[in-house]
Amino acid sequence: MNAFTRPAEARTVAPGAEAASHGNAAGNRRRHSVAGRLGLFVGVCLMGIWSFFPIYWMIVSSLRPERDLFRTPTFIPKTLDPHLTSYQNLLWLTDYPRQFLNSLVVAGAVVAITLVVSVIVAYVISRYRVPGKSMIIGGMLYAYMFPPMLLAIPLLSIFAKWGIADSLLSLVIAHCTMTIPLGVWLLWGFFKAMPMHLEEAAMVDGCTRAGAFFRVVLPLSLPGIVTVAIFSFLLSWTDYVFALVMISSDNLKTLPLGLASILGSFDARWGELMAGATLITLPLLVIFILLSRYFIQGLAAGAVKG
Amino acid sequence: MQSFKTASDRRLLAVFILCVAVTLLLIFGPAAYAIRLSLYQAKTFVSPWTWVGLDNYARVLSDPVFWHSLGVGLIFSLSAIVLQVLLGTAFALLLNQAFPGRALMRGIAILPYLLPTIVIAITAQWLLDGSMGLWTHWAMDLGFGRPHWFENPVSAMAIIILASVWTWTPFVTVCFLAALQTVPASLYEAARVDGAGPVMRFFHVTLPMVIPMLLVVILLRSIWMFNKFDMVWLLTKGGPLHATEHLPILAYREAFLQYDLGGGATVATLSFILLSVLLVLYFHFVPLDEKEAKA
Repeated sequence: MNAFTRPAEARTVAPGAEAASHGNAAGNRRRHSVAGRLGLFVGVCLMGIWSFFPIYWMIVSSLRPERDLFRTPTFIPKTLDPHLTSYQNLLWLTDYPRQFLNSLVVAGAVVAITLVVSVIVAYVISRYRVPGKSMIIGGMLYAYMFPPMLLAIPLLSIFAKWGIADSLLSLVIAHCTMTIPLGVWLLWGFFKAMPMHLEEAAMVDGCTRAGAFFRVVLPLSLPGIVTVAIFSFLLSWTDYVFALVMISSDNLKTLPLGLASILGSFDARWGELMAGATLITLPLLVIFILLSRYFIQGLAAGAVKG
Repeated sequence: MQSFKTASDRRLLAVFILCVAVTLLLIFGPAAYAIRLSLYQAKTFVSPWTWVGLDNYARVLSDPVFWHSLGVGLIFSLSAIVLQVLLGTAFALLLNQAFPGRALMRGIAILPYLLPTIVIAITAQWLLDGSMGLWTHWAMDLGFGRPHWFENPVSAMAIIILASVWTWTPFVTVCFLAALQTVPASLYEAARVDGAGPVMRFFHVTLPMVIPMLLVVILLRSIWMFNKFDMVWLLTKGGPLHATEHLPILAYREAFLQYDLGGGATVATLSFILLSVLLVLYFHFVPLDEKEAKA
């Protein structure tokens, strides 16, 4: 009876939707007392500081001149570095651009593979009489709960036998073990909720099944597909565990791995580290701001591993 | 529901079977492989394996290090889960009130969930840096002397717990908010007519309505917190002196740093068996056929 048991319906109760919806909590309609309003104000401020302060500090530290970092820190920086030295050092003197590209290639491939495979699997399961259907869905859900470390170690050994150990391809395959179960699970909910007579009508009107799929089903399930794409990207882009086990060459490192190795080096360059952390976060922030509706929808569907 | 009649249906079926088989093989294959590896003695992946039966299990289970790691994992995951649920509930209740700028605050409250673990680990280490960290300075200004955050077992544990709470609270917040919005307003009206204050309304109206969701969230969080490797590894590497070394780190250390793949696989398998208890519970609370029936 909740968002988890019926992923597709999470749409209707996405918290992004404003209070206008039918049964929002009572507080919305009543005027608060003065004490109540003060409490609310303080609570919201504390929540904002708790959630945003570390992010603020990360961004501010990346913008301050290096010598300032060694002084007593001030809450609001007195000077910002007009030359963005930390960013320049990071981009010109380290492997960061290379790692950014690696991360982008891996995440892009993961998103593409996940979308194709999970659309096919979820669609066939929701539309055809497939023997062992609940076994497949259950297996996917079960697989989704697997701890990455349990998979990573034996996967490395299998990849070593195939001769693709320490390659971006091995990382892509490893990430797909997280993203495909998620994609099938989410899209199954979407396709299931979509009435079958829509395609049947299209087919009566002369579409082939493939035509009906591409012209009717796919456009209508776009929100689900976007959600799957976002979360596949997020899982791949932020992954550290699989990358740590799979990748050992310097030129194949992804961003999280690369930053961790700067952190591990004997003298930590905090300005560069903060710049690197800010730059990893940037694409995620952009996606979040542009597509927050889908993001919240996926979260509320209980979809995301973390 | 359709059966596979035409040629194109059958082609689709072939592709479908291929996709499912490859995916499930790539997931269950390695899991089976890890379990098999736990029955052998092996130093590396290329060196020859020696069959040792259940010796690895006997060795691991009689080793106090295993039980220590299990205890550390329980302390870490239970405290992190309790704090996440409490904080997430509080945030959801706040965000469900009407106030100007609510949409923005909802976005900000979710932000931590978006950040890669590495970013959180780096930022935490910067805030706690022994000589230049902001919190180190604050602690010194408050007269605590120079704190050694990562050298003290208690503060090291507190750091990994708080960093995890910070990161994964938004998951609880979002789920709780979604559940709150399914509570019919008429229930609150009725409770108010009967003279129930806000606290009474929370415990007698809100809580009973969201309990099923809360149970599932707690289960999911437990499943994932218990196996959280990257946050702990990046912040403390299991130190100081194994004080924060839980099972995933123990498995990693045995397999890759002590060249005992069999031992590492044994620890991983044992923690997976423990996890399976939670998984069985999850499937019990959210049975597949119920979803099927409503489809």
